[in-house]
Amino acid sequence: MSRALTIAVREYGSFFRIPLGWVVIALFMCLSAVFFAQRTFVPGNPAELRDFFGVWWGLLLFVSPAISMRLVSDELRSGTIEPMLTAPVGEWTIVAGKYLAAVFFLITMLLPTLAFVGVLAWLSRPDFGAIGAGYLGLLLLGMLYLAVGTLASCLTSSQSLAFLGTLFVLFVLDLAPARLAAQAPEQWAALLFKLSPSYRVADFARGLVDTSTVAFFLLGSFWFVSVAAISLQSRRWR
Amino acid sequence: MIQISHVSKVYGSFPAVQDVSLDIIPGQVVGLLGPNGAGKSTTIRMITGFLPPSAGRIKVCGHDTIDDSLRARRSLGYLPESAPLYPEMRVKDYLSFRAKLFGVPRGNRKNAILRAGDRCKLLEVMGRRIGHLSKGFKQRVGLAAAILHDPPVLILDEPSNGLDPTQIRETRSLIRDLSVNRTVLVSSHILPEVERTCDRVVIIARGRIRADGAPTDLLARMLKQVPAKHSLEMYVETRADPEMGGRSELDRIAARLKAMPGVASIAREPIPGDKPDQGIRVAEWVRLVITPQPSHPDLREPIARALSLGGILYRDLRRQSPTLEQLFMRVIEQDAPSTAQSAASDSDAAKGAGT
Repeated sequence: MSRALTIAVREYGSFFRIPLGWVVIALFMCLSAVFFAQRTFVPGNPAELRDFFGVWWGLLLFVSPAISMRLVSDELRSGTIEPMLTAPVGEWTIVAGKYLAAVFFLITMLLPTLAFVGVLAWLSRPDFGAIGAGYLGLLLLGMLYLAVGTLASCLTSSQSLAFLGTLFVLFVLDLAPARLAAQAPEQWAALLFKLSPSYRVADFARGLVDTSTVAFFLLGSFWFVSVAAISLQSRRWR
Repeated sequence: MIQISHVSKVYGSFPAVQDVSLDIIPGQVVGLLGPNGAGKSTTIRMITGFLPPSAGRIKVCGHDTIDDSLRARRSLGYLPESAPLYPEMRVKDYLSFRAKLFGVPRGNRKNAILRAGDRCKLLEVMGRRIGHLSKGFKQRVGLAAAILHDPPVLILDEPSNGLDPTQIRETRSLIRDLSVNRTVLVSSHILPEVERTCDRVVIIARGRIRADGAPTDLLARMLKQVPAKHSLEMYVETRADPEMGGRSELDRIAARLKAMPGVASIAREPIPGDKPDQGIRVAEWVRLVITPQPSHPDLREPIARALSLGGILYRDLRRQSPTLEQLFMRVIEQDAPSTAQSAASDSDAAKGAGT
């Protein structure tokens, strides 16, 4: 566990040693601020971030592949995977460390957005419960997206391929159930909707925290991270 | 210390390493020598556990590299080819990261980093970004990272690849320093590196071990197969003499030497630095290279007698002691798949091995 943390800390630090981390945060904050100014920060509007979470979920779709794309791909490309895999560290530890770093980075990226909450609290009396639930949903959704990205990153030494692959899978994950549900019989439709991360996370914006949804995201993330670790292990089988 | 028994590695249908067995005893410094694509890196990657062997077993310090991989890896220090590092990190941060990965206890970590940095002469660049360092420094960072946890076995894959001569010399002396109390396996396609640093040389070509032994033993063995060429420098007329049927003095001497028992062939070689004949001099210094037959390894005395009898002045007569390079080239050439390649001259083959 301590080795996973060691790897996570190094990886997290690297986000800020290269421009990528700063660019991602700046982009995310800039777009968020524009939306905040246009949609939420309008006289007469309710003091809530409900619309706003919808925007963030959309942004996450593009930002999380950018966070996760280099995790393992970069090591495969530069060859640093060799000293890594010949150190006394298992593949699970490596992938867990990488994934943790991405999640830490996601949290770091979300922290400055608390300023918007601050503005709302200063001007009005927002429902902190709903906002808390929204943030939880954002984090869980991000964790799932990052897990998908970690898997993609383990499969290729090309960062751009990892980015596009993740984006593609996330689109399919998000859109396919909703599209299919429209044509499917009713009992199937309900099930398909339950499989769509963006549909599931919508409850959070309304302040609803459903344990089954939390479990859905955590198990989903765990599943993708596990497959990522196994795919890294499989390099030794060939 | 490292036991490799009947190890093979097949990529698809390509056999990269075939039935290699090697037993490296503690304290030995072993050079793994071979041209590019011979299977050196594959062998090394199997020892370090990065690749699994297709067949056979490898044990490092008694730990199987597959079944007891973590313990085997812990007893290894490994510098992969071209020393891959994180360019965005600072040297000391990277070393600290590696120390943590290898489980160097917190109390010892700082000391271990300083010691490794000192041995690899990195102290002046500890605070610099790895990406900003020269290739030689990067190589040393990789080496320092490999010795942080004080491993009993050190494996270096092409440590002097891409370095300039000064850096190569520095790396070589560093390897010698590090080999005290350690088992070291160095791979290289550069001969002097192996010849000067290793107690034992293993020559590998096309995935098989072709020769194995101390450099001096290998040379002695080779001398039995291929006798040393003799080099001779003498002062003779080289212009055709009409009185002698159009033959020069050189031609006559060469013919006489050729007729001596035990001479396989004679060739003329230019003398480096000698001015070409201006047409004024009647005689000039000429170098001949005489290749003896294996039955007559030493022809110096008969050659000297023949020259004295002919009243020929000579300034140099010696056996060119074979180098490990010649042995290496012989092994490689014997191994070449096509006749065209085995017919290639030494220098061409040497160039091929160097690329």
